Amino acid sequence: MVEYFIRRILLTIPTFLGSTFVVFLIVQLAPGGPLEQQIQALKRGGEAAGAGLVGEQALPKDAIEELKRFYGFDKPIWQRYLIWLGVMKREAKSYRIQPGVPRLVGEKERLVLVKEGDKYVLRNADDPAKPVGDWKWRREVDEETGQERYRVYREAFSGILTGDFGRSYRFRKPVLDLIAERLPVSIQFGIISFVLSYAISIYLGVQKALRHNTPFDFATSSAVFMTYSIPGWAIGAVLLVLLATDRFFPIFPLGGFEDPLYAEMNLWEKIWDRAYHFVLPTIAYTAGSFAVLTMLMKNSLLDTLSSDYIRTAFAKGIREQRVIWLHAMRNSIIPITANIGYVIGVFFAGSYLIERVFDIQGIGQLSFEALVARDYPIVFAFTVISVVITLIGSILSDLALAIVDPRIRFK
Amino acid sequence: MAQVETLSPSVSANGAGGEEVLSIQQRRWRKFRSLKRGYYSLLILLGAYGVSFFLPLLVNNRALVVHYNGKTYFPAVRDLLDLPIVGQLAGTPFISGEELGQVGNKSECNYRALKRQYEQEGKGNYVIMPLYPFGPIEDISVEGNEPFMPPLSRTEFGELRLFGTDDRGRDVFARMAYGFQISFSFALLVATLSYLIGVPLGALMGYFGRWFDLLMQRFMEIWGSLPFLFLIIIVVSIVRPNFFVLVLMLVIFSWLGIAQQMRAQFYREKARDYTAAAISIGVPTPKILLKHILPNSLVPIITFFPFAIVGDIGALVSLDFLGFGLAPPTPSWGEMVSIGMDNLTNGYWWLVLVPLGALFVTLMLVVFIGEAIREAFDPKTFSRLR
Repeated sequence: MVEYFIRRILLTIPTFLGSTFVVFLIVQLAPGGPLEQQIQALKRGGEAAGAGLVGEQALPKDAIEELKRFYGFDKPIWQRYLIWLGVMKREAKSYRIQPGVPRLVGEKERLVLVKEGDKYVLRNADDPAKPVGDWKWRREVDEETGQERYRVYREAFSGILTGDFGRSYRFRKPVLDLIAERLPVSIQFGIISFVLSYAISIYLGVQKALRHNTPFDFATSSAVFMTYSIPGWAIGAVLLVLLATDRFFPIFPLGGFEDPLYAEMNLWEKIWDRAYHFVLPTIAYTAGSFAVLTMLMKNSLLDTLSSDYIRTAFAKGIREQRVIWLHAMRNSIIPITANIGYVIGVFFAGSYLIERVFDIQGIGQLSFEALVARDYPIVFAFTVISVVITLIGSILSDLALAIVDPRIRFK
Repeated sequence: MAQVETLSPSVSANGAGGEEVLSIQQRRWRKFRSLKRGYYSLLILLGAYGVSFFLPLLVNNRALVVHYNGKTYFPAVRDLLDLPIVGQLAGTPFISGEELGQVGNKSECNYRALKRQYEQEGKGNYVIMPLYPFGPIEDISVEGNEPFMPPLSRTEFGELRLFGTDDRGRDVFARMAYGFQISFSFALLVATLSYLIGVPLGALMGYFGRWFDLLMQRFMEIWGSLPFLFLIIIVVSIVRPNFFVLVLMLVIFSWLGIAQQMRAQFYREKARDYTAAAISIGVPTPKILLKHILPNSLVPIITFFPFAIVGDIGALVSLDFLGFGLAPPTPSWGEMVSIGMDNLTNGYWWLVLVPLGALFVTLMLVVFIGEAIREAFDPKTFSRLR
């Protein structure tokens, strides 16, 4: 058993590498990336300024080189991937330097490239005896002009494996900070809709099983399948028009996550305000999620109820409620736990569609806008998160299944 | 549901006394027909979809027949051939207004105005308009089209706007009707194609197993983890997203689930005795796959088909809502909703409720069909003792 889970965990590694590499490849090779966008923007700026130069000429080759370096496009793709992973060193800091002229690097440190004999040596500008640490230098030759240039740089391992998700191109902020800002919204919706969908489906599933083939069963089946088939945001949009616009019943707010005056409210007002803003989005989030669980619960309870030990329990004269909730439920609940591992996903719950309908600034919006704007560090961060959640979620689900049902033996 | 008993195999098999013996397919079909809700949903949906192919003759701004100075024209008929890719309607060659006697109108003839003109002139020329004389694409640039006309209002010439107009003066009813044609064709095509890919691949994976299965599984895992929306955004930035590009994009992701399903089925059936028997008497492998295992593995994915349609309709609506679906001005429900959401506070409720109402009704019909199919293929009877 332990072996099985160890093997499962090990198997996630190639899958993780494979999917991140494919995404990396597609993203980096896709036309219209950040480098091209930046160059376009600069060109447009140049033309607007009346530089009189058109096309490629408007941008000095230097500037393009510098941009390429900034976005990491100066290396072959496999190196970029390894650097991004954090298993290959990247140039963490890099500065132009002219021989003999001191250059400020970092906070206070000043370096100078001096000629000693026929070789250049890097020295601390203020105190030549002090070691320069891990600073290195290199010579670059311009292919066209043949000019020589010098550069000092420092290398470090820094990638997702070291916890560095990079900085957003658009916001110029660390990606993790940006995600952290949006997390509270997502977690609240995630947990509420998770708890709700399990609570509803277990209760509804039991009721449907007990009233199998009654009008109640047929009616709820149709309702459940309807909510399953209609996209959550569409349900949200209809509710919003009916229950929030002036045209019908303006009971709920038109959108947003909290009142503009939220910060000035006292605790009870805050709780009330949150709940008030949460009702409609929560319905939209929960609507589609309980159909599968409800039907699973129903069928599994029906199966159990027709088994011999339940007959025996009834024959002994145990009350029906007790038989159902204590005897039957223990076995019937097992299939429900089959997907419970994906509970870790609640932290990143957030559908851009629902957020757009309700005008919520959540995690879905962040990732969608990053996709559209080609803000790659954010896109990659979300890819990593979703791959990890899927992989770990499925292992956790198996683990939960093994705990709940001692008969299950994975090998 | 009581019919389950009368149609169960034991009863019809025992029916030696003149009762006909039914094949399993016949029994399923009878069972399906006995489930009224699903059966009528199927009739309604098929009827509506069939009619939707003739939409250009029913809902169109182009006239059915124009009789002008002894010559007869049929402007709407040519739209018939364009239907599956309505996006290109705008590009069809048109008859200019001048040709039909609208002085000074070198662009497309305004047939509604033409009809009034002929009636005034009384020279024996006539125009026969379709039942609902507004097209899905004509906008504010055509005389009489005002933005945000409420439902059931009339234009200045007295024509009824059933569901009003949108922000560009386009007719919401016409767009909704054409949107149905597009959404449903899209879903049918995507579901069929992904079945055509998923079923054979999944079958081979399940039957042959070993390295082929292992490799394909890893491939599918990786493929499935690709950010679908991102690929769409990239494709949209390279090519103009037409109907078939979008179908392709969805197919390359939606075959995965079907292949998984089929793989599990074939894997299970392979271990059954009848397969072993077939192998041992030397039945060729293709025949085992097609004649023996396949019919026994189809039930789960047949019952899933309506739900695949539901999913694909929902996917198209969502993509259109995001603005990464069919290129404008193609009439699509998602794009209509997104216009409605942008104008939410102004009270233009019909822009949201009409397309979503159409979506709900369509999905409801498909779900009812799906329920009935499931019931017909898989009539589970539970005995409950207490």
